[in-house]
Amino acid sequence: MNAQAAQFQSTPGPDELALGTGPIPAGPYYRPEYFDLEREAVFKRTWLQVGHLCELAEPGSFIVRSLEFANASILVTHGTDGKIRAFHNVCTHRGTQLVAEEGGRRSSFSCRYHAWNFGYDGKLRAAPDFDRFYVDKAQCGLPEVAVDVCARLIFVNLDKSPAQGLREYLGPLAAQLETLHVARATQFSEYTYEIDANWKLTYDNFQENYHLRFIHPRSGAAAGGPENPFGYPENYALHGLHRTQRIWSNPAPLIKPFQGYAFGKAAEAMMADGLADCPNGSEYYALFPNFFILGSPMTPFSHCVMPLGAGRSRGVIRLYWVGPDDSASKRFAREFQMATALDVHAEDRAVIEAGHRGLSSGALEHIHFQSQEVLCRHFFHAVNNMVESYQAERKAAGGVA
Amino acid sequence: MSATGGLLPSGFEPLEPFVESWAIDGAANRAHRRLVSNEAQRIAFFNAAKDLLPAGLAYLDRKPLEQFDEKEQRLMNLFLSLGHVAQAVEIQGDDEPRHALGRQHMKITRASADLP
Repeated sequence: MNAQAAQFQSTPGPDELALGTGPIPAGPYYRPEYFDLEREAVFKRTWLQVGHLCELAEPGSFIVRSLEFANASILVTHGTDGKIRAFHNVCTHRGTQLVAEEGGRRSSFSCRYHAWNFGYDGKLRAAPDFDRFYVDKAQCGLPEVAVDVCARLIFVNLDKSPAQGLREYLGPLAAQLETLHVARATQFSEYTYEIDANWKLTYDNFQENYHLRFIHPRSGAAAGGPENPFGYPENYALHGLHRTQRIWSNPAPLIKPFQGYAFGKAAEAMMADGLADCPNGSEYYALFPNFFILGSPMTPFSHCVMPLGAGRSRGVIRLYWVGPDDSASKRFAREFQMATALDVHAEDRAVIEAGHRGLSSGALEHIHFQSQEVLCRHFFHAVNNMVESYQAERKAAGGVA
Repeated sequence: MSATGGLLPSGFEPLEPFVESWAIDGAANRAHRRLVSNEAQRIAFFNAAKDLLPAGLAYLDRKPLEQFDEKEQRLMNLFLSLGHVAQAVEIQGDDEPRHALGRQHMKITRASADLP
């Protein structure tokens, strides 16, 4: 191993040392009772990415998102006043789920049960024979959900009064996100998967490169090189609850001929659209709790890992594009880029599930993270600190922690 | 060739035998076709199409996508399928059958090429 390779032996930095080096308890990665705590302590009081403004391009457009961890369905609207709002997708009459579609355009929302009709501002506009009720229309608006936007990404927070606004929550990363491709994107390609694994096990897979050479020996052949066989990142940084890594620039990636031609087409499109100059193009952002976005304008993907239960999750991966396909070459390049990313992600699923099966047997008390898995270690502590704070809060309030 | 002739723009006749299998609308359908294809089909298509791709894209780039006639749209769809098949032939190689086991769980729900 040469001198350059030695640098990838990663001497732990001060941030890493503050996280300790000891083993990590296994229970939080599979136990249903721990997941129940996470639902309350993390997911019901944290900003969660649920969409992108290009899905709400026109005033009058809306999207609906399922947040299974809360048994909730969220309606996000773009009002004719230009405002983005979010509501629980629940008719205030008797609780019927209001909108069945995943998205579209409408002038208002009518409940199919008794035809209560709501506007984009969530207000009850009309209800048949309303004089017979014992309540004012003004009290019957849709329950609001906190919503905000950064880099055209839409975030919601189920906490009725979030402890922090979105910008404060994201801190200095908010400004960095605004420099990315996604902040100018007008459309996206998307693929999804469901997986029998805890959301943290799933998420962790995508914040360490230790596995790349074993799980992606062919699709990830360009990730490592002689001086950095594992393709470890150049740098890690911790940002409160969030964390980033700077992708290593492989000076001599192994690229196959067709792949090289297709990537060339993607690069041409990127240059033509003026997207090549991206100051944070090598940064890979892990936004707490469950969202990734890669700064690279060549592979501008995001990945959201949504928990469906203690042992089941859904991944949503999007590649964001600026402008429509306006040539055959660009259309080909985008399809190829999607197929390339999908091939890599498809390789992770089985081994993550095997990890969940192994852990949920209860055979292990602890798991271990090496120095190049520091982001996984940081993630565990971020979640666990919130869970412990929540337990203390409940105890102080006289509840069962 | 005569039975299937005239399906593609002039100059791309060598790809006519692949139209039925690979000139497919919809990215999810193209990914599915890769899943259910066999190695011989993939290699034959890849070998026939890869060298025609640069000329084909140059030809198609001369016209706005929305003005494609049926022949041009078939050629476009062939090249989009080639983007999937190239992963199998050039990258996955003999690992493709095992790779398909994981890939069958990935659902393409939106693709740039399918948008209006």
